[in-house]
Amino acid sequence: MLLRIDGVAKNFVGRNGVVAALDPVSLTISPGEFVTIVGPSGCGKSTLLNLLAGLAAPSGGQVLADGRPIAGLDRRIGYVTQQDNLFPWRTLRDNVALPLELAGVGRAERAARAQEWLARVGLDGFADAYPHELSGGMRQRGNIVRTLIYEPEVILMDEPFGPLDAQTRLGLQALLLRIWQQTRPTVLFVTHDLVEAIALADRVLLMSARPGRILRDEAVAIGRPRDVFFIHDDAEFRRLHDGIWRDLAREVTV
Amino acid sequence: MRRFDWQDPRVVRAAQLLLAAGFFGVWQIAAGRWIDPFYVSRPSDIAAALGHEIASAQFYDDLRVTGVEMLLGYGVGAAGGVVLGVALGRFAFVARLLDPFLVALNAVPRVALAPMLIVWLGIDMASKIFLAATLVFFITFFNSLSGVRAVERGLCDVARVQGASGWQIFAKVMLPGAASWILTGLKMSLPFALVGVILGEFMVSSHGLGYRLNLYATSYNTAGAMAMIMIMMAITMLLGAGFDKLEAHLLRWRPPPAWVSAAPRI
Repeated sequence: MLLRIDGVAKNFVGRNGVVAALDPVSLTISPGEFVTIVGPSGCGKSTLLNLLAGLAAPSGGQVLADGRPIAGLDRRIGYVTQQDNLFPWRTLRDNVALPLELAGVGRAERAARAQEWLARVGLDGFADAYPHELSGGMRQRGNIVRTLIYEPEVILMDEPFGPLDAQTRLGLQALLLRIWQQTRPTVLFVTHDLVEAIALADRVLLMSARPGRILRDEAVAIGRPRDVFFIHDDAEFRRLHDGIWRDLAREVTV
Repeated sequence: MRRFDWQDPRVVRAAQLLLAAGFFGVWQIAAGRWIDPFYVSRPSDIAAALGHEIASAQFYDDLRVTGVEMLLGYGVGAAGGVVLGVALGRFAFVARLLDPFLVALNAVPRVALAPMLIVWLGIDMASKIFLAATLVFFITFFNSLSGVRAVERGLCDVARVQGASGWQIFAKVMLPGAASWILTGLKMSLPFALVGVILGEFMVSSHGLGYRLNLYATSYNTAGAMAMIMIMMAITMLLGAGFDKLEAHLLRWRPPPAWVSAAPRI
């Protein structure tokens, strides 16, 4: 799916009048591209994802999928939220199988596909566990797999590894890249971690402090498959990181 | 040396039995010595009265009448409360529209309604059922409404993004998400079903446990009246225990409460 964001802006009406969360933003994302968006907190990254997901309507401009405006929710666009949002009353298997259940897939097939996906992320031993019995990293893996299982063409990810510790993050980054390389969905991944942004992406977008604008749009010319554990040794990684970091630091200190 | 384990369920149970035995023992000794059994009877007399009741056919007739009234009142009130509570959780406009009226209705002391109910519905079972239902309804209604409103937005959004229809959101997110609140309402309102029925029976009746209690009390049969009260207590406790089992099964996905895991273990 070719995504075009065309002069999209978003304002919120707060107690002190209208607040601009997103200045008009335009960009095009090719099918199968892995794009990360990095910026200071509160810069409208999540707002942009909500607009793409159809959970909110833009105040101006439009979002086009294959040339047609997205009106409301679209099942071809998946969304992995920062909170794992697993349903506490469902077992991990039933959580992961929820999108299939909503689409009317039969019970046996649901269970089989959930089991298969859980196995791919090393959770097959926990299919019958309830969310409160799982660690944060396991829950987040469940959250990601719950979107991967119904194979949306575009996957929006809103700081999915934000609440996790550094080691778990690296493990999940490697896992995400491995799966992405097998199925190649379009990914739009929001993070505040520049290292993560470069390590994962084909293209890094740097956003300004609120109201959000796109300051830089950098292609990441690092070969794949990548080793996220040693990516900081890569010369291209260091060049990009140093370059973008200067601009990001300026935005953060404003 | 092994320390005494206050967390051991057998220790707790033994202490409970001891406490109950102590209570009834003191009552038994005190009645006739320091307090007049005319007012409070004594455990041995109450036990005899209970035995007398259990052997009488009339008692079972009254038990049946009260039981039917209670179950119907509870059923009608709870079903109405849950359905309306959950429905209003979905339709924000209707909820806002009805809010002051529901608050006003709930502000009516139900006891004050009792004489009118007899005028409207007669002296048979209908007035008792209705009285029980009005008490049960508002408890289950407000709990169900709060439950639906407390469902996390994030969970709804997840289902919506994944293509859930309005009905699917309701059945797979709102209802299970509100389940613990709804069950709390159902459990809390259970004793009130009996309150409503007994109250109705006090007003006018010719059958039922409330009728019988009133009969004994007004003829100064304290032991018989106490026996009736014990039976009512037992009914509520039995139903409550059954409900706890059901709740534990339906909410088995919940983490154990903090006070269980926080207690020091040896």
